[in-house]
Amino acid sequence: MNKSYMNRLLKGTLTIFSLALLAFSQAPETVNYKCMIQLTNYEGEGAYVVVSILDGDGTYQETLYVQGDDAEWYRDIEQWWKNLYGVRRPELDGIVGETVAGGQRKMTVLKIPADKIDAGYQLRFESAVEDQEYYAQDIQFPLTTENLKQKMEGAGFIRYIRMIPQAQ
Amino acid sequence: MTISIWRYSHLALALISGLFLVLASLTGIVLAFEPMQSAVKPYQPKNLAEVSLATTLKALEVEYDEVLTLEVDANGFLLANVVTFSGDSNQIYVHPVTGKQLGVPEVQHPIFKFATNLHRSLFLKSVGRFFVGVVSFLLCFIAITGLFLIVKRQGGWHKLFSKVQKDYLELRYHVVLGRWFLIPIIIIAASGAYLSAERFSLLPNARLTHDITVSTEDGDMGTKPYELDIFKQVFLNEVRSVSFPFSDFPEDHFEIALADKELLVHQYTGRIVSEQPYPFTFLANEFSLALHTGKGSIVWSLVLLLASMALLFFIYSGLVMWRRRVRNGKVARIQNHKDDCSHIILVGSETGTTYAFAECLEQALTHAGKTVFVSQLNDYTSYAKAEQLIVLTATYGDGEAPTNARHFAQLLKTNPPHHNIHYSIVGFGSLRYPNYCKFAAELDNMLQAHPKFEPVLPLYKVNNQSTEAFQDWSRKWAVATNTALVLPVFKQKKVSLTSVNLRVVSITDINLDDTFILRLRPSKTPKFCSGDLCGFTPKEDGMMRWYSLAKYQGDILLSIKKHQKGKCSPFLSSLKPGDMVQGNIKKNPHFHVPKKVSELVCIGNGTGIAPFLGMFDENQKNIPASLYWGGRNEESLALYAPYLSASQASGKLVHLRTGFSRVATTKTYVQHVLLQDAEPLAKKLESGAVFLICGSLTMQNEVLDVLEDISQRQLQQPLSEFEQRGQLKMDCY
Repeated sequence: MNKSYMNRLLKGTLTIFSLALLAFSQAPETVNYKCMIQLTNYEGEGAYVVVSILDGDGTYQETLYVQGDDAEWYRDIEQWWKNLYGVRRPELDGIVGETVAGGQRKMTVLKIPADKIDAGYQLRFESAVEDQEYYAQDIQFPLTTENLKQKMEGAGFIRYIRMIPQAQ
Repeated sequence: MTISIWRYSHLALALISGLFLVLASLTGIVLAFEPMQSAVKPYQPKNLAEVSLATTLKALEVEYDEVLTLEVDANGFLLANVVTFSGDSNQIYVHPVTGKQLGVPEVQHPIFKFATNLHRSLFLKSVGRFFVGVVSFLLCFIAITGLFLIVKRQGGWHKLFSKVQKDYLELRYHVVLGRWFLIPIIIIAASGAYLSAERFSLLPNARLTHDITVSTEDGDMGTKPYELDIFKQVFLNEVRSVSFPFSDFPEDHFEIALADKELLVHQYTGRIVSEQPYPFTFLANEFSLALHTGKGSIVWSLVLLLASMALLFFIYSGLVMWRRRVRNGKVARIQNHKDDCSHIILVGSETGTTYAFAECLEQALTHAGKTVFVSQLNDYTSYAKAEQLIVLTATYGDGEAPTNARHFAQLLKTNPPHHNIHYSIVGFGSLRYPNYCKFAAELDNMLQAHPKFEPVLPLYKVNNQSTEAFQDWSRKWAVATNTALVLPVFKQKKVSLTSVNLRVVSITDINLDDTFILRLRPSKTPKFCSGDLCGFTPKEDGMMRWYSLAKYQGDILLSIKKHQKGKCSPFLSSLKPGDMVQGNIKKNPHFHVPKKVSELVCIGNGTGIAPFLGMFDENQKNIPASLYWGGRNEESLALYAPYLSASQASGKLVHLRTGFSRVATTKTYVQHVLLQDAEPLAKKLESGAVFLICGSLTMQNEVLDVLEDISQRQLQQPLSEFEQRGQLKMDCY
């Protein structure tokens, strides 16, 4: 067994360790934001709403919340399906809620990774109703601390959303 | 006419939606278990009617960092959306008083998820939902038409739950189960259809909107929700859900959904900012959902489960009935040409059962060398060589013609026969119905009034598809027309028989009527009862002969007439005391004396007296019993006299009336004696006395006519009323 081989082995082991360490240290810290989604008075079934974080180029990063538990209809939320859910099938446990109907509102808590706030990311709300329209950008805004305190008006089935940091 | 419209719609709708219905019922069976499974969870430790909303709000405030929503589900469990002190957002079941977590809602089991999707939309999303909705709607009509058909069949709404006429299994239980499950099925179908209509926005909007006047009042921001009076007055059993104020700002309100209305409540003053009652459509929707899914009720889920299973059975049995009807309707066999046949059998049947008798008769006639043509009454036409016309017909519902016999009267007018034809009519029916064989009687009148038709026999009525009665008629007909007619043996249901060794205790001499009494003692003591049957199989032909037995002091008592050419009775008459003989006992429960009975009227002729001898002997409670018996003369009676006088002496038989047919110049039969006692008999009938008839079928039919007459005249009620009450029991041969 020669020396260079030993060295390579040592290096490799170290790399694995450091990578593992990095992975643990990067367990993302999140901030709780209370979020209320108020729907418009449309007629029909409950609306499907998906809240996702996109990077500056508009690439899907992660899903924060899915309103609607019948996966049969997820395909209707086209952008999200094509770019994220339909491709990667991420685990949605704990972030799925039942749909609410037109005129109703929904309250939930969004866990937003702290490192993505004020870092050039976007928050997107897309909405769809069975057999009706789909709004890819019902609401979309830069993910900044300032924006997260605002009331945002929607363009589709969402009338507005309100968010406030959850008191710790 | 009307009945066929009901039936065709019932069948057509069922065929269109059949496949969907099979899927829907199968998945329905699976889904019925879901509410049962969740309802048994231990998440409701308190009676919700005793817990005020304020109590729960206070507990939750202590237990959690923040509460977003609170919901009381169908099972009465409290489901809260909370943020814990460690910052986790959770959906959990909470204790109404302590606020502690009781459990976590389970993710719907994949089986239920699969079944729900299949049940609701067949995995076809909106298209599937549309189909399912339409099928639900059709199912409503199938059930409603079915209900009408049953009512019609049973002879009216008030008789809906009376006994169902004897028939083949699928038909019988289609009716029996139909009576119980049609209402739940209508509820399931209607609620399903309603939910679909809601889904496709066919109903007025069920939404509720609040007009909020911007309130200027701020209140004291230190006030806790549980301190507000309004929450102390609301109890959890009235609450559907609570949505907590989004922020601390006074313009954010509590949204309280109660049973019948929604409130917006100021979070610091408790003032009701807005109050809106739920629109009717919203409540109807909620109600439909509860009825359709069984959420929150184990009992109703169970009903839904059974109804789904019943639906599967209805589909199966309906198909069987349809196939039978189609098969019976068109005669598939190669038939003789109508104009070549001397014997024409015409059938009127609603359910197809009468065809079995027609086929049997056709076989026998063909065997006897006759040319036979079988058809339905609706196909009546001219028959060039017809000599004998035999009509076998049932009666439908309230004395109407069966569907395939409706046009007969009209056809008879348009196709009068060119030569004289002999006819005979057999009516099939059930004594339970007031218009017993009414249609057959109408036909009989029609043909009697017709110059070209001559009756061979008077109208013969067959009760409850009795094969014995049909055999009896065929013998009479064979004699009247001088035909060598032997009916093939009807398929008999297998019954379990008890085989017993019997020792002859005593045997009387044969009297003038060739009749003797045989007393047998069973080696074991099998359970039997007067009115049961005792059978013997003579070695010569291996055919079992049955005799109505009396249980007399533990022994079997038989009254047997010796037929010179017979195979069984001569053998039995040759027995000596002490001989052993092998016999069988068959239960005959429809001819037992009921346990609770106020009075007995026994009517019989000839050897038909046998079971009564035992019934009197067993009459320990001295229930008033009378016997009407017809025989040839005093000497015929002498055979039974020792038994009868013993029963009379001990008060077990109080009234004995006899009629003799060979004594005076006028023949007196038992029915004539009954007519003499019309008044007391009517009273007995009215007071609930049970009438037992045993003897020859001819006697039975005469007696029934007399009783019908007595009942109609004296009580203004059809005899069928009493038959339905179980007051008429018959065992004739």
